[in-house]
Amino acid sequence: MTPAWILDIFAAIMLVVAAISAARLVAARPWQRGAVVTDTDIAHLLMGIAMAGMLASGLTTLPDGAWAALFCVLTIWFGYRVVRDYRANGARALAVGHCAPHLVHSAAMVYMFLAIAAPASAGAAGMAGMGGMTGMSTLSVPTLAFVFALILIGYTVWDLDQLSGLRYGLAVTVAVSTTPAAALAGPSAGVVSTGAVPVLTSPAIVVGCRIAMGVTMALMLVIMI
Amino acid sequence: MTNVVVAGDRTAWRGRLGAEPVAARPPLDARRALQLVLAAIWLLDGVLQYQGFMFTKAFNQMLAGTATGNPAVIAKPVTWNATLIDHHMVLLNAIFATVQLLLGLGIAFRPTVRIALAASILWALGVWWFGEGLGGVLSGAASPLNGAPGAVIIYALLAVLLWPADRAGPAPFAAARAVGAPVARLLWAVLWLSLAYFALTPANRAPQGVSGMIAGMESGEPVWLQDLQKGAASLVAGQGLATSIVLAAALVLIAAGVYLPPRTASSTLVLAIVVAAFTWVFGEAFGGILTGGGTDVNSGPLLALLALAYWPRRTVSATPATVTAVSEGGAQ
Repeated sequence: MTPAWILDIFAAIMLVVAAISAARLVAARPWQRGAVVTDTDIAHLLMGIAMAGMLASGLTTLPDGAWAALFCVLTIWFGYRVVRDYRANGARALAVGHCAPHLVHSAAMVYMFLAIAAPASAGAAGMAGMGGMTGMSTLSVPTLAFVFALILIGYTVWDLDQLSGLRYGLAVTVAVSTTPAAALAGPSAGVVSTGAVPVLTSPAIVVGCRIAMGVTMALMLVIMI
Repeated sequence: MTNVVVAGDRTAWRGRLGAEPVAARPPLDARRALQLVLAAIWLLDGVLQYQGFMFTKAFNQMLAGTATGNPAVIAKPVTWNATLIDHHMVLLNAIFATVQLLLGLGIAFRPTVRIALAASILWALGVWWFGEGLGGVLSGAASPLNGAPGAVIIYALLAVLLWPADRAGPAPFAAARAVGAPVARLLWAVLWLSLAYFALTPANRAPQGVSGMIAGMESGEPVWLQDLQKGAASLVAGQGLATSIVLAAALVLIAAGVYLPPRTASSTLVLAIVVAAFTWVFGEAFGGILTGGGTDVNSGPLLALLALAYWPRRTVSATPATVTAVSEGGAQ
């Protein structure tokens, strides 16, 4: 079994990702009119908390079924987004789009929670987290875990390349208008800003979180094989 | 990314695909794409190394087993390494896993690609000796179907061939950009001819040699893969010599392929990819990854990646000497 302290380190990384995502959500001031909140931050926040709970039993929050249902909703949402992107941009949306990786992340979360739930129903003990789980090795479809891990690693490597290629800057476009119409108008309606909060809300931070999430999720999937 | 726009009691969703402040989209040429695949494989290896199996005595015994049949000068360091790992199992294996993870991340991250590739060469050479006993090359156990001459040495070869540097003049394929076409072709020929040699060793041409090797990979695999391997094993049962000769002939053809005109070379590269795919599925069972005990992807994907690195670029002539390559952009 993978030592608990290693899993704890990855759990800590996931909590950091969740904290950053929460900070980004707060920085977006969703209680104000015209605020812009990204669904990727919501997804990262939920995934960070859920994965930390899977990695370290002491961090478990919701029941597996509840998490599975939540990520089912996210999977459907990102699936819808990918279809829309695909219609707009063709197959390129799957390779370089922003929603496809999140779709895979969400689907992998659903799979993991269902895979964990399977041995629990068979009476296996110690299902509270990966650190104490022996039932993880009884995955019914390990091939699927492998496929998910491959795709996640592929997106992680791609994200790293694009991040280091300065596709994602640390500056951020901030909408200056408070009207939804202006916010919907996209980056043209905003100004590029710098500073502590703009750095936090920059696309590079999102991609960095996604990279950490992808590596950790691939690790979890492989350990579950 | 997608945004939720909250306005009073109205909530709207919008997409901002590609709306980030774009400084410059980095160029992705063939070599960079191959580097990214190599990075992904290292990353997968790192993740695999974190599996529970690697923190047990079984992993250590697997390492120690590679000393068997090797000359003392090779075997003793392997045994020493296995003993060392036995004494510090958790710490050392965690370091091994993290190193491989960092190699993958380093190759994918453009500013660190050189240092990561250089480190991967050193790491691969160390693992080839201390962890794989030189891939069984000197013990007579090597077979092209089970990862000879050691998957990890192919990582080192790929790191050399995909090194982000360019020699003067056009390169006929991505692997030639750093070391030049003659050296790249020579390395390719040596690798594939050595595989052809291993295919014809007594252990591999024995009547049940190939069949037994394939059947031996079934344990712990998913049922669908076991079924595939059972079918393949029964197909070549008692046909060790014939299978070895056919395989060796294909490997020699592949070795010579890079010296042929581009169009023919492409055909032999396709053959190389097909052989690599068959090797990966039937001989290596995906590196044993689906059993929860695989330390790496084994040689199949690496051989395929290598073949892609030799894929001819635009050609204007039928002879390799006069092949004109399109200059590839990008520094990586």
